[in-house]
Amino acid sequence: MKATANKGQMRVVEVILASFIIMFAITFANIFAVTPTSPKYGATELEKLGYNALLDLDKQGLLTAFVYRKDWNNLTAALKVVLPMDVYFNLTIYYLNGTIVNKEKQIFYGNIETFFTSKNVASVTYCLSGYYTKGKAIYDPRVLVLRLVRG
Amino acid sequence: MFRDRRGQFVIIAVLMIAVMIISIGALMHRAVTYYRHEPWEEYLALIGNIELNSKRLVELSLANYSHTLNQSILKINLERWKTDIQNIYVGRGVALNYELANRSYNVDGIIINYFLGLNYSWLKPKSFTAANATFTLNITSIGLTGYKFTALAFLNLTILNVKANNINVTVKVEDKIPVAGLGKENFQVKFGNTTISIVSVKSRYDSKEALIYIIECAQDISSTPVTVEVSDLRGIKVIAQYP
Repeated sequence: MKATANKGQMRVVEVILASFIIMFAITFANIFAVTPTSPKYGATELEKLGYNALLDLDKQGLLTAFVYRKDWNNLTAALKVVLPMDVYFNLTIYYLNGTIVNKEKQIFYGNIETFFTSKNVASVTYCLSGYYTKGKAIYDPRVLVLRLVRG
Repeated sequence: MFRDRRGQFVIIAVLMIAVMIISIGALMHRAVTYYRHEPWEEYLALIGNIELNSKRLVELSLANYSHTLNQSILKINLERWKTDIQNIYVGRGVALNYELANRSYNVDGIIINYFLGLNYSWLKPKSFTAANATFTLNITSIGLTGYKFTALAFLNLTILNVKANNINVTVKVEDKIPVAGLGKENFQVKFGNTTISIVSVKSRYDSKEALIYIIECAQDISSTPVTVEVSDLRGIKVIAQYP
């Protein structure tokens, strides 16, 4: 009679042990789980957008023309055209020594607050080698830093 | 005895299930990390940025060379570019190396003897200005090594014929592609040391040459050698002479 009762207790102990093993296995498996962030709103996606936008403008010869002529209005307009409407941008252009070229005018679109509040702010660095004006071909690099955020 | 073994079986079964769960977890982890999204397009754009601007620098250097004939301009510019690129992309481990063409090349049927990546052959009916450099790009942050690309800048001016006050010329870049969109301001005609004024520059399609420019001069220039100078939209200059 006592032996039968012990057997019943052992079953309970076995079930508890089994539950612990399964719980442990599930927890251990969860450690390996890699949860992907939404690529639509991730910084990587924005970086891709930014790079492609600048590269497209550069291939068309527009970027060099706007940057070296300091035509900030047209540069802002061109970036608005190539980037999606819900993407805000802030472009800063530097000389090689780190001085800002567009000090007098911010090349900007969107709400400035978003750049401080958003989790995903992408930053893209792009460089230009030089330019040609009538009779002069000049090596004078510019560094473009484009910051992007979703509005 | 049989009843005792049944309890052990439950434990063994649960252990096996646990092993299966862990194995599936490990497999899933491997699958997720193996196919993890890598921002290749971003890298491609970075490579495209460096490639495009390196090629542009070769063109700029050639434009400079064609105006100053400074044979070392390409080497000077590329040396600076190499250092500046490293500083601009300091966190990415970008290293750009270059090699200037220093031997004979056949470009579209024309033999070009490069020295420090540059060469010109002027004052002939078929004249040209050319630059050639091969780049090797390494970006250690993405494990890219030995990405090679060649930057060839070339401008060819050919005087086809001179009839009374009209000069027929072709202007071509690499791969014999005709240059379109040139006007009066891109050409200069000289008769000895005297500059001849150009009345108009027109272009027409030709089945053999694709595009021919007709330079109409203010005076008859058919009797003596005439010099035509062209500067394309990149600023590269070539001077050809006829006959």
